Amino acid sequence: MSQIMVGGFYNPHLGAELVGAAGTFDHLAMADPPSSTDPYWPVIKERYTLLLHDYLGQLSEPLAPEAVKRARDLAALYDTPWVAEHFQCLHTQDGSYNLNYVFPPLYTQEFLDRFTANALALAEKLDQPLVMENIPGFFHVEVDQMPESEWLTRFFDTTGSGFLLDLPHIWIEAHYQDRSPEEFLEAFPLEHVVEIHVAGVEEDADLGGPWISPAPPPEEMFAFAEHALGLCPETRAITFDAFSPTLKAEVMFGTIDRIRRLVA
Amino acid sequence: MSDRDLHDHIIRALADAPYRTASESLADLVHEGGRVDRFATFLARHFYYERLHHLFKYARALARITDRRPEEVVRSSAFDALLPNLVLGSRDSAVQVGRLASAHVRSGRHLDDIPYLDDLLLYEEARMMVESGPRGHPSDDDVDVGPAVAQEGTTIIELAHDIVPLLPKLLTDWVEPPTAEREPIKLLIARTRAGRVTTVRATSSMERLLELADGSHAVDVLARDIGATGSTVEQALTGLKEIGAIRFSTGS
Repeated sequence: MSQIMVGGFYNPHLGAELVGAAGTFDHLAMADPPSSTDPYWPVIKERYTLLLHDYLGQLSEPLAPEAVKRARDLAALYDTPWVAEHFQCLHTQDGSYNLNYVFPPLYTQEFLDRFTANALALAEKLDQPLVMENIPGFFHVEVDQMPESEWLTRFFDTTGSGFLLDLPHIWIEAHYQDRSPEEFLEAFPLEHVVEIHVAGVEEDADLGGPWISPAPPPEEMFAFAEHALGLCPETRAITFDAFSPTLKAEVMFGTIDRIRRLVA
Repeated sequence: MSDRDLHDHIIRALADAPYRTASESLADLVHEGGRVDRFATFLARHFYYERLHHLFKYARALARITDRRPEEVVRSSAFDALLPNLVLGSRDSAVQVGRLASAHVRSGRHLDDIPYLDDLLLYEEARMMVESGPRGHPSDDDVDVGPAVAQEGTTIIELAHDIVPLLPKLLTDWVEPPTAEREPIKLLIARTRAGRVTTVRATSSMERLLELADGSHAVDVLARDIGATGSTVEQALTGLKEIGAIRFSTGS
């Protein structure tokens, strides 16, 4: 348990604070490439283990050669131990409509075949392992052929990819399905988990309920994380999943401190 | 219909409010119909918050004196009134939301201290409009021969102040708002198929080339019209193509 890395996302507006906090953070996840004008980037790159967590493309379609090249270039730049993508399908095939926000696929055999084939193709072109993050649904689509947990189990069993378990996503889905988060979690293939995300949640007026927010995670989320850690023996990193220009340094540092106490 | 096509239908329903309202099959796909509308509203607010945060960054830099952040407008009743007709990413919606953001900034304080504010807002609205519209595949830009065709969305704006030197200053840690020369300028704003938006100072020959770029004029015709050599026109067209202002027609 003591070998688990604890970190957060690189938020460039907090660059000055992060440069001086190498003892606090073991790693930083990179959601965007560094800006050429970011004065802190050279030190950040030198001091931290960096995790590639950018948008590379949706694996419902094969990644274009330029997207694969971009993924490889970023992975090399960061010297990342693994490359993350999401179980998401957020734009139409012709590119006419794009939600610009994570949105899950249908949990059908056709989508499973698509994601499996495209993830295997991507993984073959990478020098690092691929890990895939679960994405929450806010509503159920009647054509789903299996639960999300079964779809993910089949995906990981076939591809051998790592599982980036986003706990708030699980927590939110359980909430909207009126189920216990712990019971909901246990159906997922936790033996594949490599990295865990924790994050804050807040009430959203449009959704009429909780959603992800760059706020401190509530104690309930830390308790859930502690529970999850006991079920995920291969976990190598826990990341505070907050990437927002509104994120405050005290929230980021306070959360990291709290996570450290979980894994101590 | 494949599952992938069905999923496209759901994505469009979430992005395109009139399509969602008119869709008869959506209720069969999602029994929790109210949740689709709720999620679509959530997505719309998120989508335009992100766009305004990025594309109105100069007006936001002025919020320390105007007390108006452009992206705040997505929480307004005026934005709510747009929701039934919003199509995420469309030009029409970008124009409407951009105008709302400008109006919000103009309702702020100390506007007399920012004589170039109208020009700045016009510039940011134009960038928001140009940035919108469907993305293409970057390789769509790879054709290097054929008659030039102006790309939809490419725009030239006329401003009373030269805001170009002002823009980087606005993002610094100023106390008094930076100033801009009162000098008329024209800016050309274009977007590549991959989504990169570029602004350049527009020259009269650039403007004329864009007017004539309808896919029917060969380089020698364009050269005669603007009084330049063929190689100069070819060079200018290559520059316009690189920023996405034109493409070369394949004739198909």
